[in-house]
Amino acid sequence: MPPVPASDHASPIRESISESRFSSLRGVRWRIDLGILPKSPASIDDIRRIAADSRRRYAHLRRRLIVDPHLSKDESKSPDLIVDNPLSQSPDSLWSRYFRNAELEKMLDQDLSRLYPDQEGYFQTATCQAMLRQILLLWCLIHPECGYRQGMHELLAPLLYVLHIDLQYLSHVRDEYEDCFSDEFHGVSLPEIELSSAYRFEKIMNMNTAATDKDGSVQEKSAKVTSLDELDPETKDIFLMSDAYGVEGELGVVLSEKFMEHDAYCMFDYLMNDANSVVVMAELFSPSPSIGSSTGLPPIIEASSAMYQLLSIIDSSLHSHLVELGVEPQYFALRWLRLLFGREFSLEDLLVVWDDIFSFPNLVSFPDKANESELGCRILCSPRGAFILAMAVSMLLQLRSSILATEYATACLQRLLNLPEDISVKKLIEKAKSLQSLARDTVFSCSTQGGIPGHQHGGRRGQSLSYGSSPVTPNLLSDSYWEEKWRLLHAAEELDKENCGDTVSSDMANGPLIGRFNLPRTASDPCPTDFQSENKNVGPSDTSTRVDRNHGIYRSDKVPRISATEESLCLEIEAETDYVEEQPDQDVIVKGLDVAEESRFNADNSLSTATSPHRMVNDHEYDSEDSSITSSSLIGRTCDEANSAENPCNTSIDKDENSIASSRSGQGPYSVEKHAAGLKKWKPLSGRFQWLRRFNRGYAEGNMGNRIAVEPQKSYVVADNCGSISGAPASDPCHNSYEVSRNIEDEDKNVIGTSGDPCHSSYEAHGEIEDEDKNVAGNLRGIAKAMLENIQVIESIFKQDQGLDGSKDSKSTTISGDGQAAAMAALEELRNISNFLSACDD
Amino acid sequence: MVLVLAIGDLHIPHRASDLPAKLKQMLVPGKIQHILCAGNLCIEMLIFLFPLNLCPDRHFARGEYDENARYPESKTLTIGQFKLGLCHGHQIIPWDDLDSLAMFQRQLDVDILVTGHTHQFKAYKHGGGVVIIPGSATGAHISITYDANPSFVLLDIEMGLRVVVCVYELIDGQVKVNKIDFKKTATTLPAH
Repeated sequence: MPPVPASDHASPIRESISESRFSSLRGVRWRIDLGILPKSPASIDDIRRIAADSRRRYAHLRRRLIVDPHLSKDESKSPDLIVDNPLSQSPDSLWSRYFRNAELEKMLDQDLSRLYPDQEGYFQTATCQAMLRQILLLWCLIHPECGYRQGMHELLAPLLYVLHIDLQYLSHVRDEYEDCFSDEFHGVSLPEIELSSAYRFEKIMNMNTAATDKDGSVQEKSAKVTSLDELDPETKDIFLMSDAYGVEGELGVVLSEKFMEHDAYCMFDYLMNDANSVVVMAELFSPSPSIGSSTGLPPIIEASSAMYQLLSIIDSSLHSHLVELGVEPQYFALRWLRLLFGREFSLEDLLVVWDDIFSFPNLVSFPDKANESELGCRILCSPRGAFILAMAVSMLLQLRSSILATEYATACLQRLLNLPEDISVKKLIEKAKSLQSLARDTVFSCSTQGGIPGHQHGGRRGQSLSYGSSPVTPNLLSDSYWEEKWRLLHAAEELDKENCGDTVSSDMANGPLIGRFNLPRTASDPCPTDFQSENKNVGPSDTSTRVDRNHGIYRSDKVPRISATEESLCLEIEAETDYVEEQPDQDVIVKGLDVAEESRFNADNSLSTATSPHRMVNDHEYDSEDSSITSSSLIGRTCDEANSAENPCNTSIDKDENSIASSRSGQGPYSVEKHAAGLKKWKPLSGRFQWLRRFNRGYAEGNMGNRIAVEPQKSYVVADNCGSISGAPASDPCHNSYEVSRNIEDEDKNVIGTSGDPCHSSYEAHGEIEDEDKNVAGNLRGIAKAMLENIQVIESIFKQDQGLDGSKDSKSTTISGDGQAAAMAALEELRNISNFLSACDD
Repeated sequence: MVLVLAIGDLHIPHRASDLPAKLKQMLVPGKIQHILCAGNLCIEMLIFLFPLNLCPDRHFARGEYDENARYPESKTLTIGQFKLGLCHGHQIIPWDDLDSLAMFQRQLDVDILVTGHTHQFKAYKHGGGVVIIPGSATGAHISITYDANPSFVLLDIEMGLRVVVCVYELIDGQVKVNKIDFKKTATTLPAH
C-alpha cells in the first residue's frame, strides 16, 4: 500500500495554501515558513528554482570560504610566498585563514561531539557531524560579528534532522512508486520535459488505480483522472519535487540528499539572521545590545524581561514569587529562548513546537507602530516572537504549582530547567497560542500608551519587587480565567444536557437554569441597587472601582470589546460568566490565566464583596461574618476566606428561594457562632444537590475527554474541603456542620462512607437522597478522591506557612506568603464553585 | 596536513645568543605539530625554551657539541605517508656531500633525511628521496663559513604523497621564503 493516507484521496480539493500541501514534509514546510521557499508558488517549478538558487549561493560560499592552501597553490603557481606561507602572520593569507578555520572547527567539534548523545543514531554519524560542522563553520565565517556561540549547533541540528526525515520519507515513497522515479528523463531533451512528465503522470495514475483496486475502492477507479492536478497532492508534490531538471540536473530537486547541507544552511541562515525579520536568533546570542535598542541591554535580556512582563500580566502572583526568590528571567530564559526550547523537550516534541513557532510570521505586525525603540520589547512585535514568549510563559504556568512550592532560587531553577518529561506539548502550545494574542495586545497597549511606566516595565529586572509586596496586585483578567473554566464546564454541561434530552434544554431556554448558571450575576445583580440605596456596602463599590481601574489600565485600551462591557462591570465583579455568555469570543485572552491572580483579587475583595450582600439580607449573617473576620489568625483567615467565598451562595439562595433561605440563614449564624467555617457551604450544597448531581455527571464526562476541565474540578474539590484545610481546630466544627446540614435536610439516610472525609459522606448521602442513578455516587467518589489529594496539597502548603510563621512572626499577619497565595487561589475557586453550585440549583 | 619544523645548529650560547627577531616572530604556537631538531643546541635547557617548546612532539639528534649525551646519533620516524630520518651530519663524511648523504638516507631507509652541521640551507632531491639541510637557525659560524644566513625549514606534509618544503632564510635582514615541492612516487612507498 502506498504510504499516502487514504484521506488524501477523499479530499481531492487541493488547497492553495502551501503549508497544507507539505504536511508530510516538515522540512519543506519549514523552508516555506522561514521564507526560503515562496509561500504561494505559481508552480512547483518555482519552488525548485528558488531552492536551486539558494543552493547555488551556498555552494558559492563554500567554494569561496573553505580554503585549502594546497589546492590554491596549484592554481596560482607562485603567489607571493612572503604572504602565503604556512607561518605567515598576514590575516589575509590563505594559510592564516586556514588556521583560523581549523581553530573554529576544533571548537565546533567540541560541541558537536556532544550533540544529542541519546540520539546517537543520526547525529553522531560522521556524515551528519561533517555537515553540521561545515554549515556552522560557514555561517560563522560569513557572520564574523556573531561568531560561534555555544548552542547554535543545537538550533541547527533539528533543521538538519527534519531534512533527513523528509528524505527518508521520500525514499519510502520512491520505493512505493518506483516506476515514476525511474529515469524516463533519459533521451528526452529539455523542451520535451512536459511531455515526459505527462508520460510519467500516466504511469502514476496507473499505479494509483492499481493501488486503489487492491483497496476495493471503486470510486477511484471509476473517476477517470485526467489531469495532474487531480492526483493525490501528497504524492504529486513529492513526485514533482524529486523531478530532475535544469542544466545540472539534480539542482531542481527540492529534496535531495546531495543538497541536505545546502538546504540546512539556508534554513539555519534564515532562522539566525533574516534581514526582514524581528526575531533574529543571532541577536539572542550576541552579548551587545542590538541596534536601536532603547534599553542598552543585550537582546536576550530584553526578551527574557519581556517574558517576565508578560507573566506579570498573566499571573502576577507567580511572577512576584519568582521575583521574590530572586530568579532573574535570563537564568532560565537564556536557554529556553536561545535554543528555542531545544533542551526542554525531546526531539520529537521539539519538532512540533517548532512547527508552531515557524508557522507564525516573523514580521513586524504593527508596521505603523514600528518605532521599535519605544516599544522596549521588540521581540513581541512579531507574531512569532510573541508566540515564543507566550510559549515560555505557558511553560512557566505549567510548572506553576511546583514553582510556587519552592522556597529557594536554586530549587526553583532546578525545576525550571528540568521540565517534567510527561509534560503535554500540545497543551502547552494551545495555551501559548491563547497567550500569544495577549502578548501582542500588551505590545499594542505599550505602544499606544507610550509604555505605562509602572506596568509596562513591571517585568523589567529589579523593578518587579513592588508586585510581590503589594497585595493589590493588578489582577486583571482574573475573572476571565473563570470565564474560561466556565466555558469548559458549560460545554461539558451542555453535552450532558444533550444526552438528557429536551427537559434540560427547555431548562436552559426558560431561564432559571441560565440564571443559576450565572449565579454570580443573579447574586450580585441586587447588590448594586441595594448598596446604592443603602450605601452601606463599601466592599462591592471598592471592587468595582478596582476592576474598573484594571480595565482602564490593561484592557480598555487593548481590547476595545471588553471595554464595551465595562458598564456592566459592577455586575461582573463576581459574574465572570457574563463574559462567556456575552462575549464568548474572548476566551482567547482568558485561557490559561491562573488562579492565584484571582485569589489575590479575592483575598482582598471577596470578603467585602461577599459579606455585603449578607448585610442586606440578614443581620445575623452580617454579625457572624464580622465575628469570623475578626479572628485574624492564619487559620481564621482561611476560614474567613472560605466563609466569605461561600457567602454569595447563601445570598443567592436567599434571593432565589426566600423561604428556604430564611430558614437557612437562620441556621447560618448558629453555625458560624460555633465558628464552623465550612458550615455555610454545606447548607447551600445540601439544598443544591439536585443540581450537583447533574453537574457532577456532566462534569465527569467532561473530565474524561477534557483535561483542562480537571482544574475546575480540583478547585471545586479543594474548596469543599477548606474546612479541613484550615487545620485541626476547624475540622471539628466542620464535622459538626455536616451533621447540621444533614439534620437540616432531615433525611433518612445511611451515610455510606462515613470516613474521615466528610465531604465524601455528605455527597453520598445526598446522592441517596436524590434517588439518583448509581453513577452519581461513583462520580462523587472520584471527586472525593481528587478532593483528598488537593487537601493534602494545600495542607502541606499551610504547614510550610505555619513553619514560616514560627520563624517570622511578622509574616503571620500579612497574607503574602506563597503558600497562602496558593491556598487563597484554591479557596477562591471554592467561592466560584459554590457560586456555580447555587447557580445551577433548580 | 601536518606542519613539521626542522631546525638545527643553534650553538646557543657559544656562538650565538638567540634566533634573529624576524625569524622568531614567524614562529607562533598552534601551527606546528612536530619539531625535528638536527642537533647542536649546545646547552640542554634550550629544549625548554623558544622555539623548541612550540609543540609537544619533538625529536632530537645529537650533535658533537650537545651537552646531553642521551640523544641518539640518528633517529627515524613516520609522519603521514612519509618516513623521516634525523641526524646531525658531522658523522657523514665528507660533509655536505650528496652521495654520502644519499647513502646514509638509504641506510636509514627514509624518504626525507633532515641533517645539518654545514650551517647552510640545502635541499637535494635524488632518487626516491629528499635530503634537507635546514641550516643554522641562529646563523652561527662554523669552520666552513663565517657568514651563515640564519634559516630554518618548515615541512608541510599532506595526507597524500606530497610534501612542501618551505625554507625561511634571513638574507640581509629580510626573510626570504622558498618552496620546494616533493612528491613521493608510488614506487618509493615503504615496502613494510
